[in-house]
Amino acid sequence: MSNTLTDAIDVARDDSSSADAAGGNSAPSMTSAVAQRARSWTSTAMISAVAIAVSIPVLVIVWSIVQPSTEVWEELWATRLPGMIRDTATLLVTVVFGTLVLGTSLAWLVTAYQFPGRRLLGWLLVTPLAIPGYVLGFVWLDTLQEPLGARAVRSIWLCALVLTITLYPYVYLFARAAFREQSQRAIDVARSLGCSRSQAFWRVVLPMARPSLAGGAALVGMEVLTDVGTVRLFNVSTIADGVLRVWFGTGNRNAAAELAVLLIGIAIVLIAMERLARGRARFTQSGSRAGLHVERLHGARAAGASTIGWAMFTFAVALPVSRLITWALEARRTDQTATVAGDLGFHLMSSLRVAAVATLTCLALGLLLVAGLNRRRAGGSLLARLATLGYTVPGPVVAIGVLVTLAALDRTGWLPDGWLLVGSFVGLIYALVVRFLAVAYQGIESSVGKVSPSVVASARTLGAGRVRVATRIELPLAGAGIIAASVLVAIDTLKELPITLLLRPFGTETLPIWVWQATSESLWVQAAVPSLAIVAVGMLLVAALLWTLEHGAETVS
Amino acid sequence: MTGKQPRYVLGSLLVGALVLGACGSDDDAGDAATEATSTPSDAAGASSTPDDAGTITVYTGRHYGIEPVFDQFTTDTGIEVRFTTGNDPELRERLIAEGANTPADVVMTADAANIALSAEAGILASVDSDVLTETIPEELRSENNDWFSLSQRARVIIASTERVENPPTTYAGVGDPEWRGTLCLRPSTHPYTQSLVASLIIAEGEERATEIVQSWVDNDPLYINSDTDIYKAVADGECDIAIANTYYLGRLLTEDPAFPVEIVWPEQDGRGAHVNVSTAAVTANAPNPAGALALIEWLATDGQQQFADANFEYPADPDVEPNEIIAGFGDFIADLPAVRLLGANQPAAVEVLSATGYE
Repeated sequence: MSNTLTDAIDVARDDSSSADAAGGNSAPSMTSAVAQRARSWTSTAMISAVAIAVSIPVLVIVWSIVQPSTEVWEELWATRLPGMIRDTATLLVTVVFGTLVLGTSLAWLVTAYQFPGRRLLGWLLVTPLAIPGYVLGFVWLDTLQEPLGARAVRSIWLCALVLTITLYPYVYLFARAAFREQSQRAIDVARSLGCSRSQAFWRVVLPMARPSLAGGAALVGMEVLTDVGTVRLFNVSTIADGVLRVWFGTGNRNAAAELAVLLIGIAIVLIAMERLARGRARFTQSGSRAGLHVERLHGARAAGASTIGWAMFTFAVALPVSRLITWALEARRTDQTATVAGDLGFHLMSSLRVAAVATLTCLALGLLLVAGLNRRRAGGSLLARLATLGYTVPGPVVAIGVLVTLAALDRTGWLPDGWLLVGSFVGLIYALVVRFLAVAYQGIESSVGKVSPSVVASARTLGAGRVRVATRIELPLAGAGIIAASVLVAIDTLKELPITLLLRPFGTETLPIWVWQATSESLWVQAAVPSLAIVAVGMLLVAALLWTLEHGAETVS
Repeated sequence: MTGKQPRYVLGSLLVGALVLGACGSDDDAGDAATEATSTPSDAAGASSTPDDAGTITVYTGRHYGIEPVFDQFTTDTGIEVRFTTGNDPELRERLIAEGANTPADVVMTADAANIALSAEAGILASVDSDVLTETIPEELRSENNDWFSLSQRARVIIASTERVENPPTTYAGVGDPEWRGTLCLRPSTHPYTQSLVASLIIAEGEERATEIVQSWVDNDPLYINSDTDIYKAVADGECDIAIANTYYLGRLLTEDPAFPVEIVWPEQDGRGAHVNVSTAAVTANAPNPAGALALIEWLATDGQQQFADANFEYPADPDVEPNEIIAGFGDFIADLPAVRLLGANQPAAVEVLSATGYE
C-alpha cells in the first residue's frame, strides 16, 4: 500500500509555488545543535506515541493468536476455509486485474486522445469513487435480478464486476497522472527507433507508469480484502466475511480474530508485491514537462472513443443513480421514509461532522508522521507500518479492537467522573483514524517523496533541520497531494459503516447508518434517499479532488 | 499566481471542517435527532451519562420501526428514551466491554440466541416483576427472568399458489428430492437460519438435524439473503417453495393483496412451527434499572400491540390480538419450548451448517 498517491495526482509543484514557498521564508537562522537534537528527540517521541496509539486496537486483535483456538481452526479447515480462501483469491485477482485494465485504458484514452467530450469525461470517469460498494451492490442486484434471474445474479463474477466498477477510479487516477507526467520525448525516441504508437505505449509509457499502477492496484486489493458489505449481497464467502461469520455465529471472538490476522498476512504479502512491482523506480520532479502529444481523433474513431467513455459512465454511475432516484421518488410517493430517527438534514450534518473531523485528524497526524519519519530507515518504516495497520483489517474488526481498547481505558478511571470514551465522539474519531490514517499517510508521504532529494540536500547543507525542511520545503511543495489525500480520506469516512455503527455517540446518525437500517430489512426503496445523499456529497468531494488535479495540469501546460 | 491555489483550497477546507466540527458541539445535533426521544449528547467531547436520571438508555438490535414505539412510551409516561441501534452480537460485545461503565439500561435483540448468549455472559439483570411474569408466557422468558420476549416471528414454509399443490408440511419435507432445484433458502450467515437449525437440533438431535439440513443442501437451493427477496423469488417463479418469516408476507400483502404466495404452517402435527422472538432485558449494570423495568413492562402491556404491529409480528402476550393481516394467516401451533434453548444450541447449529456445505 505504500504507494505514490501523487503519482496519481499531477501536482502543481511548478517553479512559481516553490519560489513562493522559499520567498515566505527568510534566510534560515542558525539553530544550536542542542536545541535541534532536543527537538528531534521530541518529534521521535511524538511520532512513536501516535504510531503506537493507532496500532493498539489492531495489535489487541493480533494478540489473540497467542492462544490459538485449535478446535475452531480444524473445523474451519475441514469445512469453509478452503472455499473462503478460493473466493478471496478469485475476487482479489479478478478485481485487481479488472481495475488495472479498465483504469489504465480509460486513463490512456482521455490522456492521449482528443475527442468530443474528452474533458468532461476525464472528470466523470472518477465519479464512481463517490458511490459506496454496498449501495452499488444492492442497486445492481435488484436491477439485474429480473433479466438474469435470482440465481444467476448471485455470483462471484457479478460481485467482481461491481467491485471493479466501484474501485477502478483508484487505478484510473493513478494512471492518468502517471501518463500526464511523462514526457513526449521518451515516446518520440521510441517512435524514431521504429516503434508504432501502440508499441511505444506498451514498451515505454506503460513500464514507466508501472509504479503508479502498482500503487493504485494495491489500494484496490486492500479494499477488496476488507470488504464485508458487497460480498455478502452476492453470496460470496470471503475471509473477511468469514471473520464475521465465525464471530457472530459462534460468539468465538478469538477464532474470528485469528482469521483477521490471516487477512493482515495477505495484506503484507500484497504490500511486498507492490514494492516488487515498483522495483527501484523512483520519480522525482524533472525540470521540463513537455507532456504527451495528444492525438486528435476523427470520424468513427472519435465517436468510438466518446462512446466507450460515456458507456462506462452510464454503466457505473448514471444507471445506478437514476435507479436510486426512481426509488427515492417511490419512497416519497408511498410515504415510506419514516423508519429512522431524524430527517435528511440531521443525518447529513452528522455525516459531515464525522467526516470533517476524522479527515482533519488523519491529515494532522499524517503530516506529523511524514515530517518526522521521512528519510528515516528501519525504525521509521516499522513505525509507519504500525501506524497504517488499521487499513489492512475489515472495519468491524477495527471497531471491536477500538471498543476493547477504549473500554479498558474507561475502566482505569483516569478520565473525569462520568466521562467515557466508548460511545463518545472522540472515541469514534479515534477509531476512524485507526482505520484510515494509512490513506492520509501514504498520500502525503508519496507526494513529499517526490520532492527532489537534491533540493532537500541543499537546504540541509544550508543548516536547516529536518523539521524545518519538512515544514518549509517539503510540505508546501506537496500541497496538492495533501489535499488529494484528504479528499480520499473524507470520501472513505463518508462511506464508512461498521465502525460508526458500533461506536457512534447518541445523537450521531450518519447517512450510511440510515442506509443500513433500510437495507438490513431489504427495504431498498427506503435506502435510496440517504444513498443519494452520500453520492452527492461524494461527488462534490470528487470534484474537489479533480479540481486539484486539473489545476495541476493547467499550471504545467 | 496559480501555484497558490492549492494552499488556498487546503486552507478553506480546514476552515470549513473546523466550522462543521464546531457546529457539532451546539444543540442542533440533539434536537434534530429525535423529537420525543431527545438525545442529549456532548458531541465534541467524551460522552457522559445523562444528567436527567429519568432518561432510559437502550441498545437495540431490533431497529425496524422502533422509534415511534419509544415516542409513544414517552408520550404515555413522560420518560425520555435515548437509543442506539446495531447488530445484536456487536451490541453484546459493547455491553461486555463497557462492563460497569455502560450507559445502557435496556438491551433489546431481534433474536433469542443472542439474548441467551448475553445472559450467559452475565450482562443481564434478573428482575422480579409480576407484570412481566403474568403477561409473558413462561416459555417466552428465561428461567431466572433475566430476559423477556416481546413478540414472536414464525419461520414457516412458503409456497407458490400457482405452481405447488401439495407443499411439504415439515421442515424435513423441504429436503424431499421433489423440490430439487426449486427451493429458496436464506444463507447460513443469517441468525434466522442459525436459530431454525438450532430448533431442529433441539427437537430431533444433532444427527437427525444434520441429515435434514444435508437433504436441503442436496436440493441445490438458491440462497437469498433477504426474506423479502425470497418471497419475490417464489412469486416470480425462481423457486416453488422456500423457508421464510411470515411478517414479510404481511408487508408484501399490504402492497399487493393478490401476492401469489401462501404460508404452510410446518410441524402442526408435532412440536409446531419454529418461532424466534424479539426480546428485551435490563442490563446488569443499568444506571436506571427502575426506568428500564418500566419501559419493558410498558412494552409488554400498553405498548405490546404497537410493538408487535410495527413489524407484523405476533405479540408475546397471548391475550393481545395479532395485526389483522397476519391474523388472516390463521392460528398455528408454535414450538415455544425451544425458544429458551436456541442460544445454547446455536454454536452446534453453525457447525451443522458448515459440515453440510450449506452456503
